[in-house]
Amino acid sequence: MPEQIMTQVISPDLNFVKDIIASGGESLKKCYQCSTCTVVCNVTPDDKPFPRKEMMYAQWGMKDKLVSNPDIWLCHQCSDCTAYCPRGAKPGEVIGAVRKLAIQHYSPTPLAKMVGDPKYLLMLFAIPVLLFLAYIVPKGYLDFSAIPRGEDGGIVYSKFVPVFPEIDVTFGAAAFFAAVCFVLGIKRYWTDMSAGVKVQGNLMDSIKATIIDIITHKKFEKCNVTKDRKTSHLLVFYSFVGLAITTTLAIVYLYGFKYESPYPLYDPLKIIGNISALALLYGITLVTGNRLKNAEKAGKGSYFDWLFITVVAVVAVTGMGAQLFRLADIAILAYPTYFTHLVFVFFLFAYAPFSKMAHMVYRTTAMVFARHTNRD
Amino acid sequence: MEKKFGVYICKGCSIGESVNIDNLIKSTARAAKMQPEAVRVHDVLCSPAGLEMIKNDVKEGTNAIVIGACSPRVKFEEFDLPGAITERVNLREFVAWSQDPNTDATQSIAEDYMKMGIIKVQKGDLPEPNILPDLSKTIVVVGGGVSGLTSALEAAEAGYEVVLVEKQAELGGWAAKLYKQTPREYPYEKLEEPAVFAKIKEVEAHPNIKVYKSAVIEKTEGQPGLFDVTIRTNGTGETIKAGAFIMAAGWQPYDASKLGHLGYGNPNVITNVQMEEIAKTGKITRPSDGKEAKRVAFIQCAGSRDPEHLPYCSSFCCATSLKQAKYVREKNGDAVAMIFYKDIRTPGQTEIFYKNMQNDPGVLLTKADVTGISDAGNGNMFVEAENTLLGEKIKVEADLVVLATGIVPATRAPQEYLDGLTEAGKKGDDARKAYIESTPKPEFILNLDYRQGPEIPSLEGAYGFADSNFICFQYETRRTGIYSAGCVRQPMTMADASDDAAGAALKAIQCVEHVAQGIAVHPRAWDMTFPDPLMIKCTSCKRCTEECPFGAIDEDEKGTPFYRINRCRRCGTCMGACPERIVSFKDFSVDIVGSMIRGIEVSEDEFRIVVLACENDAYPALDSAAIKRNKINPNVRIIPVRCLGSTNLVWVTDAFSKGIDGLILLGCKYGENYQCHFVKGSELANYRFGKVKETLDKLQLESDRCQLIQVAISEYDKLPEIINDFVARVEEIGPNPFKEF
Amino acid sequence: MADNKNVLVIGGGFSGLTAAVETAEAGFDVVMVEKTPFLGGRVTQLNKYFPKLCPPNCGLEINFKRIKNNAGITFHTLAEVEKISGQEGSYNVTVKVNPRFVNDNCVGCNACAEACPVEIPNEFNFNMDKTKAAYITHNQAFPFKYVIDCRYCKGASCAKCVEACKYDAIDLNMKPETISLNVSSIVLATGWDSYDVSKLDNLGGGKIANVITNMMMERLASPNGPTSGKILRPSDGKPVQSIAFVQCAGSRDENHLPYCSYICCMASMKQATYLREQYPDSTARIFYIDLRTPGRYEQFYWKVKDDPKVSFTKGKVAKITEDPETKDVIVEAEDIQLGKKIKAKFDMVVLAAGMVPSTKASKIPGDITYTADGFVASSSLKKGIYAVGTLKSPVDVSRSVQDATGAAIKSIQSARRSK
Repeated sequence: MPEQIMTQVISPDLNFVKDIIASGGESLKKCYQCSTCTVVCNVTPDDKPFPRKEMMYAQWGMKDKLVSNPDIWLCHQCSDCTAYCPRGAKPGEVIGAVRKLAIQHYSPTPLAKMVGDPKYLLMLFAIPVLLFLAYIVPKGYLDFSAIPRGEDGGIVYSKFVPVFPEIDVTFGAAAFFAAVCFVLGIKRYWTDMSAGVKVQGNLMDSIKATIIDIITHKKFEKCNVTKDRKTSHLLVFYSFVGLAITTTLAIVYLYGFKYESPYPLYDPLKIIGNISALALLYGITLVTGNRLKNAEKAGKGSYFDWLFITVVAVVAVTGMGAQLFRLADIAILAYPTYFTHLVFVFFLFAYAPFSKMAHMVYRTTAMVFARHTNRD
Repeated sequence: MEKKFGVYICKGCSIGESVNIDNLIKSTARAAKMQPEAVRVHDVLCSPAGLEMIKNDVKEGTNAIVIGACSPRVKFEEFDLPGAITERVNLREFVAWSQDPNTDATQSIAEDYMKMGIIKVQKGDLPEPNILPDLSKTIVVVGGGVSGLTSALEAAEAGYEVVLVEKQAELGGWAAKLYKQTPREYPYEKLEEPAVFAKIKEVEAHPNIKVYKSAVIEKTEGQPGLFDVTIRTNGTGETIKAGAFIMAAGWQPYDASKLGHLGYGNPNVITNVQMEEIAKTGKITRPSDGKEAKRVAFIQCAGSRDPEHLPYCSSFCCATSLKQAKYVREKNGDAVAMIFYKDIRTPGQTEIFYKNMQNDPGVLLTKADVTGISDAGNGNMFVEAENTLLGEKIKVEADLVVLATGIVPATRAPQEYLDGLTEAGKKGDDARKAYIESTPKPEFILNLDYRQGPEIPSLEGAYGFADSNFICFQYETRRTGIYSAGCVRQPMTMADASDDAAGAALKAIQCVEHVAQGIAVHPRAWDMTFPDPLMIKCTSCKRCTEECPFGAIDEDEKGTPFYRINRCRRCGTCMGACPERIVSFKDFSVDIVGSMIRGIEVSEDEFRIVVLACENDAYPALDSAAIKRNKINPNVRIIPVRCLGSTNLVWVTDAFSKGIDGLILLGCKYGENYQCHFVKGSELANYRFGKVKETLDKLQLESDRCQLIQVAISEYDKLPEIINDFVARVEEIGPNPFKEF
Repeated sequence: MADNKNVLVIGGGFSGLTAAVETAEAGFDVVMVEKTPFLGGRVTQLNKYFPKLCPPNCGLEINFKRIKNNAGITFHTLAEVEKISGQEGSYNVTVKVNPRFVNDNCVGCNACAEACPVEIPNEFNFNMDKTKAAYITHNQAFPFKYVIDCRYCKGASCAKCVEACKYDAIDLNMKPETISLNVSSIVLATGWDSYDVSKLDNLGGGKIANVITNMMMERLASPNGPTSGKILRPSDGKPVQSIAFVQCAGSRDENHLPYCSYICCMASMKQATYLREQYPDSTARIFYIDLRTPGRYEQFYWKVKDDPKVSFTKGKVAKITEDPETKDVIVEAEDIQLGKKIKAKFDMVVLAAGMVPSTKASKIPGDITYTADGFVASSSLKKGIYAVGTLKSPVDVSRSVQDATGAAIKSIQSARRSK
């Protein structure tokens, strides 16, 4: 029996087009559908390849076709398409903007819109700043000399902002909030993606294969113009893994062994933490460097991207700085640095489902889905 | 003119090493009835010394000159001898460079060619221009749109009197109906205000231009330089004298009522012409309820590129829809314009305009085959399409649909009517009468009082466009002195039409200037000769009037043909057509070529083949073969002709009665993509040849002895082989049985 | 003493020839200068014109005949304009005429080329074969006069050609000459160059032996080309059985040429017919973004499309590689209508390289403004200077003819105004 082709009703959404343009896809309208992008793309599957068709959907404001589309996440923004695009339509940047809008779309809170919009930047920072000020101002800790010292007279940050309940409850709540938002978002995303698609095989196998893909960064190897991204992204990725281990250890130390910080530098926790922090610092520097180096070919990146990079960079720098100033006993630098560190870490975690950080969840999900549907 | 002969033979370029010069001198002297000592030989005739020798003779009265040297295609400046009849005999290419040296065959070729050259000069005469009295240099421009206005202005600025005839009450044509026009120059960013109004002002104020509005041409009589044009304005007629025409009658949008499958008939489905009118009103509103249209669909190729409608691309619709999409967007920032196209055609730098227009968030494009328009309620419609970039089959709701309709040249309706008339005429007078009675007669444009019909004959497969078939010579239609410009010639944009109109104006100027000097126009723009018929012998068979590709010959009341010499392009088709052989040019006539053929030495033991070669392409191709030192069959003798159309069948008789064994007509390609510079020449020769073949068969003279071969100038490598094959075929048939007589 | 002429035409290609001949036939004196040793320009390298598939030398022959028969036209080959000053009615122009090393005595006998020991790359054939340092481009070249390429000629130390020439036509000591002209108007018609495909790094231009340009394809198919018209692929001389045409190779591309080059769609379809005519079993595939066959050219497209062995694929080729063993060419594209990425192998690939105005690389001296892409910004030209043809926008031969004829009337107006 011949397959019946369904007639699709298209209703262009001009506002979505404008949103993409405002989100870093300003070159979107230049695309004239030659498909150079698709041909030079090394990560797309051959059948129904991307990103040419995504560019078309984007031009016509076909939001439904885009936000739930796993292909926008299979794109790793190698920017080969952008470099070779004959019209300067920068498909890599456009798809990046679409991803941002997809994150917003699946976010259960309006926070997502705010994260993507520089207008709200101050407000977003104001939340952790006020929160942490609320912890320290009543204690008169704005005067650093009023902050109690450790037994050896050194700076102890837990005496500045106590681990419990202030830090752990705050971050615990933030993490919980983020996790809930992620779960809600991903659930809707998965439902949308699977609508009308035949799912086959074992989901666990797909997850396993995807994890291997991620930990080996295989996809990044296929990039051409931005070859060096593999190293930098890998560094950042593994430093996050390292920092996650560090945090887990810290929880075990504190609540398992009642062992309180500061820990000596030779402590395994410290070693893992510091190596990860250095890797992050180096990684994020590489990320920044590569982006600047490739800006001409690959595009300059959006606010959304740069906000995330900046936050990660500040987290790394302030984390390292806080430790160094503490050891050097320079109170006037140590406390503000630590304070900044807390604010940025909060920003990173609490807003993870709405910032570029969310890509790790959405992309992973999309990759699993793609495997699961034999798309990839 | 009293002829004083001068015969010169060059020994250079291996001529001297290929033939026995002494014997050549002797035979040539015999032919020229002069002493062998009088034949002058030089080692390098084109050298200063050689030329001086000739020029001194000319000074001393030599005026009939035969130069046996290289091809007339080279050393033209050196051997240009004003005041003398000069014949260049091609001993170098056709003998020295393409034959085996020092054979009897080669010697006889050289002798034949020299003899033919002598005959040509003996029979020919020095041309004198034919200048008719009371010539007008006024240029009539038909049509007051962008093309017509431009032509008028350009010709007037060049110093010529212009008469502009516009059918409508106002000048400007379609261009004046536009809301805005597409930018014509880099960076192609902003839509421009219509430029035509400034042009209208200039035209109306120009002292050299007289404008007739609401006017049509009722009748055009005469010929270039001497046209009598009757212009009718509001019931009154006026006849003016004119020298040449520019035909810029423009176009009509394709009849949208034939586009029912694209929803035309629904009030909210409009054409791109209507869109301009709506845009002028301020807002883009839709006809059904006056509501502002916020989703406007443009359907490209509405009629164009469609075998059922217009089998051509109308060239401007893509840019026009992009422009109109911008109207939609400029009038309302929330509106979208959706363009459904087959291919976006914005050639050249117009691509930059495409890019600029596309770079608007609300201008949406997709390739699509639009399958239909369906009702979406509230006066809205669904555009239904297949093979789109958005999906296999889609439906898009729109509140206004614009059909990008294409163009139909103003010449099409008259052309179709006339074609029908010709067809009916072929079936007999009754059918013709019935056709005239049953078919509504469209408005004619030029109303030429020509034996061959009232309009410019259109080309096969040109869909009524008054175009030329030539890539290199854009303006050469089949009516001398009438040059078409703009969309009546080809679908084109306004910017292109302006360029085109300027070119047509130049051609019109050339025409009146050449007519004033009594010389031909393209492609023999230097030619002073003209057909001079011996009317006393005319039998009024009218073959010449029918066959002339340019309609240069009319008939008087008694049916006797007479020449409108200024329409003539000097191809000699009439000369070839005339069974009474009464048409001659000073340097080219039935007798001259016939005598040359008869001058060829024929022997019983050798085959002799005559090649009548078109001098435009076939002759240079033969020359080029020789330049590559390819061997040309020694049995052939090549005689250049102006065009194969000038081939008179008596030459066939001349050849065969003389004992020639075979005859090749070597000319240009004919048919739809003809290359004949005189349009019909080789085709007519072929037609006539078909007739002669019948006669040959009747005479038991195998018709295979005659062949017309179409050859392009680039086929020089194949040419020797083609000739060899023919010679072999004639050898198979055997010698000409008339040889014995 | 300056030579007084009405009109100067810079460039002896088809536009320049047309402008010159049409102006002269309207009764005005014209001088034409051409940079190369021969007239005719780019079209002399073409095998056939679209859509009639007729040979360019046919129209050239007529135009050369018009020149030969018109005393109003003078021309200089190997000539370059060095300076333009003045205004409409009186432009003073300095022209440098480079030595041909062959004088008017030349009869075109080929003895010098035979004697010449120096083999040089044949630029007329895009270096696909060799010629001699004393050469003529082809057997219908005009003027039919040999030339010696001083970049390769060994000069007086060799002089074998001088010895071989029986007509004293070779003068190895010829020096450049400077001529001054005073003209009332100037037509700029310096034409175009093919885009340098070696800049298309993903398409293998200049790197893969069997990837050639559309202009090279013309030479391969021309009876006066390097293979006498046989379409053989460069790597091994094998007759080409399958060919791909890659449209917009450089054109419509911001990284290269942002505009459309107008002729390439028609040219590739035309070239598909070259192959199909030569090899009955051959196949041709044309990869395109939009097919641009404006006006009645549409009919040509339909005719080519009717050939079942010619196929059209919507989708731009963005990657070309070589099979190192067979030297076949692998082309990658998306078949947009199928929504599939494809890889296909061909004997040979033709890059439909775009048109670059000659003024992109070499500017015409004088007050002339150019667009970012090197085209002459015609509205900013001084009165009495007119640009034609491909200097204004990419166009085909027939549009060049239209435009050049139009320029002729403009220059006549200038001449009239200044009388």
